[in-house]
Amino acid sequence: MSHVEKRAITLTVNGENHELWVEPRKLLADALREDCRLTGTHVGCEHGVCGACTVLVDGKPVRACLTYAIQMEGHEVSTIESVASNGVLSPLQQALHEAHGLQCGFCTPGIVMTFEAFLKINPAPSEEEIRDVLSGNLCRCTGYQNIVKAVQLAAVQMRGNADHVAA
Amino acid sequence: MSLPEFRHIGRHLPRKEDYRLLTGQGRFVDDIDMPGALHACFVRSSHAHARIVAINADAAREMPGVVAVFTGQDLAQWTTRQRMAPPIAGLQPMEMDTLPIDKVRFQGDPVACVLATDRYLAEDAAEQVLVNYDVLPAVSTMWQALAPEAPRVDDSLSSNLLSHQHADHGDVAARKREAHRVIESTFSQHRQTHLPIETRGCIAVWDDGRQHLTFHVGTQVPHPYRTTLASRLRLSESQVSVISPDVGGGFGQKIALYREELTVAALARHLKRPVRWREDRLENLLASSQAREDFCRTRAAVSADGRLLGLELDIVEDFGAYSFYPGNYLARVVAMILTGPYKVQDYSYDVKVVLSNKVGNGPMRAPMAITSWVMEGTMDAIARELQLDPVAVRRLNMLQPQDFPYTMATGEVLADITPRETLEGALAAIDYAHFRQRQQQARAQGVYLGLGICTVVESTTYGSRFYKAAGIAGSGHEAAWLRIEPSGAVNASVGLGATGQGYETSLAHAVAEGLGILPQQVHLHIGHTDIAPYGMGSRGARGGTAGGGTLYLCAQEAQVKVLAIAAGLLGLGDGAALRLRDGSVEKMSDGIWTATGLGLADVARTAYMDPLALPAGLAPGLEFHKTYEPPPMTYSNSTHVCEVEVQVATGAIRFARYVVAEDCGTVLSPVVVEGQQHGAIAMGLSGALFEQVQYDAAGQNLSGTLADYLVATACELPHFELIAMHTPNRATPAGIKGMAEGGVMGAIGALTNAVNDALAPFDVVADRQPLTPMYLRDLLRDKTDFINKA
Repeated sequence: MSHVEKRAITLTVNGENHELWVEPRKLLADALREDCRLTGTHVGCEHGVCGACTVLVDGKPVRACLTYAIQMEGHEVSTIESVASNGVLSPLQQALHEAHGLQCGFCTPGIVMTFEAFLKINPAPSEEEIRDVLSGNLCRCTGYQNIVKAVQLAAVQMRGNADHVAA
Repeated sequence: MSLPEFRHIGRHLPRKEDYRLLTGQGRFVDDIDMPGALHACFVRSSHAHARIVAINADAAREMPGVVAVFTGQDLAQWTTRQRMAPPIAGLQPMEMDTLPIDKVRFQGDPVACVLATDRYLAEDAAEQVLVNYDVLPAVSTMWQALAPEAPRVDDSLSSNLLSHQHADHGDVAARKREAHRVIESTFSQHRQTHLPIETRGCIAVWDDGRQHLTFHVGTQVPHPYRTTLASRLRLSESQVSVISPDVGGGFGQKIALYREELTVAALARHLKRPVRWREDRLENLLASSQAREDFCRTRAAVSADGRLLGLELDIVEDFGAYSFYPGNYLARVVAMILTGPYKVQDYSYDVKVVLSNKVGNGPMRAPMAITSWVMEGTMDAIARELQLDPVAVRRLNMLQPQDFPYTMATGEVLADITPRETLEGALAAIDYAHFRQRQQQARAQGVYLGLGICTVVESTTYGSRFYKAAGIAGSGHEAAWLRIEPSGAVNASVGLGATGQGYETSLAHAVAEGLGILPQQVHLHIGHTDIAPYGMGSRGARGGTAGGGTLYLCAQEAQVKVLAIAAGLLGLGDGAALRLRDGSVEKMSDGIWTATGLGLADVARTAYMDPLALPAGLAPGLEFHKTYEPPPMTYSNSTHVCEVEVQVATGAIRFARYVVAEDCGTVLSPVVVEGQQHGAIAMGLSGALFEQVQYDAAGQNLSGTLADYLVATACELPHFELIAMHTPNRATPAGIKGMAEGGVMGAIGALTNAVNDALAPFDVVADRQPLTPMYLRDLLRDKTDFINKA
């Protein structure tokens, strides 16, 4: 590909605006990692299969390696860096810790983002539904079993929290 | 034998590593900011086998952002060649350039390196480097490699037979003559790759003023890696620091110094600028390292009642194009431990390792993965041919508790293992007796259930004496240090290289137990060659016994000195009546341990800040260093039992249950061990079902994306039921045995045996993997007519 003019774009990530000067072909994953210095979004395959780079765009999971940064103007991007608040893990992150749902941790941010979104839509998923959604994320370390367990734990915990708030 | 009582070892403790990894604050190589770094991109061969006629990089050099383009000729000035020539009988020595100069040997072989200010620009320019090739015929199968007229992968060798070893133990020929039957079985394992989700990558920073290289790379073996890197750059080990940050999986792929990494280091030094490289997934699939492709044949001489009298094994392994490891390194272990849980003294093996025009092999989680499938597949073949129950054949031949220690025909000694116990444990859990009834009933309904059994004797730890006896280059000792700082803070280190195993947690248990503090108080510092002691790194399930064991011993020595100082402070003659418990010094009086009021911090303050108050003969400070040589080999054992349903119309396999009974000795951290079991089983099943590196006849790699190289997702894997049946190893610190590879060995055997059990009514045997629907349908074609007619 020949050299392409860079453009000024505004990327809204975790509620913060980033003014970037990037080529139109710059991937969202690379823009997040290199230009925003948010390196929690990992790149595992760069062709949309492994799911490690999953981020939320307007609350929905998206492969950051199949998305151009320039397409994201006017959208809200959320990354793994936004999930814990003030150093306190989210119920899902806490459950992954307690159930040993991660080993090397490289695929973990993509899994966290996928299920942060999913548990909002389906707060009481079955194991089959969890495995089905998880099939978009490859993990080479865990054999998935403890990730499934962690999502189940998190769902119970979050429903409990919701009941508590409702009461 | 029951496990010893521990206060911290084996207790539940969630991992210390998790917080940073869960919050996106892990620090992997590519996360490291390095201002001014150039980005490397490699130009790779489009042919499997070709002479390099000319390389024209003129156009590339003119491209935006491009700083330089270098070829093999350039790199030869700044680096030495690799020579792989350990003194091993039957092994041909092999040499390798840093980048190929005369010819390429596989599709993806790196022929030039482009450096640019940005990764996108480097990739643009790499496409414009024109390489003129004279294409040669390629060797694309192991059988072609062995043919007399085969093209030679390495022109300096007399043939493609890189390594050949043969051994006869006892008298197999006599046993065959005496036997009721000689039953032959074959096993073909396909080519696979490690596939860590983090690909390879590195950053090289050359400090010209200090003449020092800092090299950031995810590696399993920081110190051996540094030794090789320094040597090939003609630097001393004092001039190179290797720093391995968080690593996104290794599984054996991150051990060798790769040519790309050496190139990046050499160019950073040459240009006096930082250089970084991260391969993409295509490169990882085409050019990192691959594994497993081997063929085995057994001939079992048996009595009429199924007793194994003698056994022959032939192995041929397709090693790929280059020797990143000695050729005998992987297959030889299969031959040495094949007979595992079974009693047989008449055994011979023949191991051939051949070169082909494919990516070079590296050890992949369970380099000896095929072992248990071959042995247990042989047991099933005996049962099938003699119409015996496969469990009965196993019980007849399996070693009994009183047989241990048992010297295998190859001279390897099995001790403190419990194969019979795990076999019975797993069979009871899956209710074997009733399974056969269910299977019969289901068959009558046209439903084909199968149950596969695979007992694994997993070689772990690999001490120096094994390396030497087996004729494999390497050492198996390990090193650790422990420092109690003036505040009482405890820092420790060991020469392992973490790639997700959770060492910061599991090894903290070993230190805490040995010293007498809480695991939460221990901080591990690993992966930096200037900080960690020179150890042999992480490979061959050695982290627990070699790494944990060395730390445990080191911490015990530290406790002795802590107590000696405490004794002085308490006015006692020695520390014999004292112990350190959760950081407090306790004294035995009248049979009861009571607090002395002294803690580790008091002792540490004295050791550093008031050394004149130390008892006579004790040196200031609390710094400890220990090296430890483990036994020649330790063994864990397990039995995998897997129940499947095979849909004969489609060839689809559905898991019903997956049970593992395992004895892997003293468990440092139960969560970590459980995770390792899950991960190993998953890798085994994924490989046996889906994963396959495919080359066509011209040596073109057909599996360059993750849509072609299929890895099991959460939907394809079963729920694993684990049964802990641990007993200690009496020869190792704390009774640790090591584990983490046996799951692969058991999975591929149990699954394949289960599929064959399901297909038994059709009189077919799957003797190769992967067990794809297409392959199973090929086997069943024309065999399932009666179903259609019925």
